[in-house]
Amino acid sequence: MKKLYTILALLTLSATLMAQTGRDLYNKYSDLPGTEAVYISPAMFRMIGQIPDVEFKDSEVDFSPIIKSMTGFYILTITAPEHREALAADVNKAVSSGKYELLMEAKDNGEVVRMYTVGDQKTVTSFVMLSQEASEVSFISFDGKMDRDKLEELMAQAAADQGTSQPQER
Amino acid sequence: MKSIHEIQNLSAEDLRRIGEDTSIPVPEDLNVRLPQRRIYPWGIAAAVIIGLVGWGLLSRPQQPKDTFDDPLLAYAAVEQALHKMSGTIQTAAGQVEKTELVMDKVNYWK
Repeated sequence: MKKLYTILALLTLSATLMAQTGRDLYNKYSDLPGTEAVYISPAMFRMIGQIPDVEFKDSEVDFSPIIKSMTGFYILTITAPEHREALAADVNKAVSSGKYELLMEAKDNGEVVRMYTVGDQKTVTSFVMLSQEASEVSFISFDGKMDRDKLEELMAQAAADQGTSQPQER
Repeated sequence: MKSIHEIQNLSAEDLRRIGEDTSIPVPEDLNVRLPQRRIYPWGIAAAVIIGLVGWGLLSRPQQPKDTFDDPLLAYAAVEQALHKMSGTIQTAAGQVEKTELVMDKVNYWK
């Protein structure tokens, strides 16, 4: 019986923690000075899902299947030194909890970008990107039930698209 | 036999002395059964679940306010962020290509 209670308690705790990473960080940092914050709620995503077709002329990749399967979206961009270090520390702490898997890491001219996902081989339920530059730290997080293959395919397409349209020589 | 009132008026010293006095016999017909506590496992389980649910509800963070009122603007913001992430992937891919070129040169001169 004690085991049952322990399992119940752990399940409830882990479910609560999983759902709150992005929102907790957003609530903590979004009102601080020197912070740009964007939040898109599940209700707004339901409205986006009802839009028949959306096309933007500057985009050749159609992200709509992925965007319509999202349920929450958070962006934080912080320039204040003390807050950006705290945000980076909080994100690193959150992603080290074990459920996050490092998708990729890129380092370029002092900028470090890490992307993490939560989910299984077929589905991504949460995505986190932390970008640390000398002057700012950006955090992007979204939740949903996204097809992993589709997400990776579209990201790769968009990356290739940017590679051909904006060649970068560093 | 002392009355309840008399017992209540006894000092702590008197109570200790009476308790330590082994010459006072215990009545043979004294048969007091202390009430036993019953443990209800399902009651405890229900209390634990109610406690966890209550804690979960109370500790839920405040729902933030939507940045956009217009779903098209929200869509555009998400798409822009996805393109930014794709740009990062492109940068990383470029680094991999550069590394491969360097490795090819190194292997050529070996």
